[in-house]
Amino acid sequence: MIYLDNAATTYPKPPQVSAAMLEAMRKYGANPGRAGHKMSMETAEQVFHAREEAAAFFGAPGPEDVSFVMNCTQALNMVIKGAVKPGSHVVTSCVEHNAVMRPLEALRQQGIITYTEAKVVPGDNDATLNAFREAIQPNTSLCVCTQASNVWGIRLPVERIAALCHAYEVPICVDCAQSAGVLPVNMKDTGLDYVCAPGHKGLYGPMGTGLLIAQDGSKLSTIIEGGTGTSSESLEQPEGMPERFESGTINVPGILGLRAGIAFVRRKTEKRIYQHESALVCMLYDRLRASGKVELYMPRPEPPYFVPLLSFNLPNKDSEDVAAALNQMGFAVRAGLHCAPRAHNFGGTLERGTVRVCPSVFTVPAQMAAFAQAVLKIAEK
Amino acid sequence: MKQLIIVGSVTYAMKGREILFNHGIRAYIERLPRTPDTPGCGYGIYVPERADEAEQILREADIHVLGRKEW
Repeated sequence: MIYLDNAATTYPKPPQVSAAMLEAMRKYGANPGRAGHKMSMETAEQVFHAREEAAAFFGAPGPEDVSFVMNCTQALNMVIKGAVKPGSHVVTSCVEHNAVMRPLEALRQQGIITYTEAKVVPGDNDATLNAFREAIQPNTSLCVCTQASNVWGIRLPVERIAALCHAYEVPICVDCAQSAGVLPVNMKDTGLDYVCAPGHKGLYGPMGTGLLIAQDGSKLSTIIEGGTGTSSESLEQPEGMPERFESGTINVPGILGLRAGIAFVRRKTEKRIYQHESALVCMLYDRLRASGKVELYMPRPEPPYFVPLLSFNLPNKDSEDVAAALNQMGFAVRAGLHCAPRAHNFGGTLERGTVRVCPSVFTVPAQMAAFAQAVLKIAEK
Repeated sequence: MKQLIIVGSVTYAMKGREILFNHGIRAYIERLPRTPDTPGCGYGIYVPERADEAEQILREADIHVLGRKEW
């Protein structure tokens, strides 16, 4: 099988990730931050190093700003529901994943907030920024947007959006689900208030891991409370990060695997990974476009305006049928709406969905060439 | 008499220990003892020497120091 569904989760993982997880199961089996015995302290030490690795990677002020959560969706829910106040307004973009849209819509339906979707203009960051500026209202309490669309690969100018938001004293949360490990994020330099990221995509960690990184987490209300191993005499949730958002036992094998994944990306460098994957996607784009048999919805997905993924359709064919045919030919891709109906609405594909292809650092040009050939073969049927 | 600087969590204890090491101060993490005036369930940084200086360094580094314990 040639796996090109890396936008859903990367596969394979680097061997050092599974090695770190195995070591965690064998050597660090005690609950960290709960006791003072040797193995608990050694486990806590390993988790602390994972926080340091993540903080360095995202330019967070310190390791204590990194909370480990289950996935990016959980992190986004924690920020969105923790930041908004009744009667307030939220700005988001028109290409968001349901991890952002469903929490916003749930809050809207409960009468707690209103929200505005700012229009994204691919390749024109000034226009996108202007749309965000126009969306901000006097009662806007949060801006939450993706750094890159999981359907179209469109990159949003989050650094400029952050500067804009701060001029209006609006905190900003960035969904790095499709960008972490490919695009640089530096919280200190850009002033991003909250960064949410999955551990299992571009960071090459295991599934079931995610990151909530906050410059000042005490400003967020919590949606999950419970034991943190500290201040147990108090019935109030601790204010201090990271424990404020880590009630209950954390996923130590996953976190240590994620640490190994982040270290892998740091060694490779995001820049090289971005260049490698973008070259592959552009090669695919060129071949599909030259055939004249494939519907492509966006401009050539070149840096710096796109992250390396591509959505397409074949005329008169359902996207799920195309993905199924590709599966029969040994290619793993994802069809449908990709949990992002607003992004598909933006691209005019809400009714049909698309076939999405996304390489990883391990994908080679020959695999992408074989994929292009397979797509064109299906198109001719 | 053992000097323990009490902090909010094991994460802050580890960060604090690294900061003190960088200042040439030996520091070790310990679980808080349960006593009538401290309910336990927390962590502290044991500093064999230069405890006052260590506490000052931690405060200047924005480590939330909850207090000191001697026993």
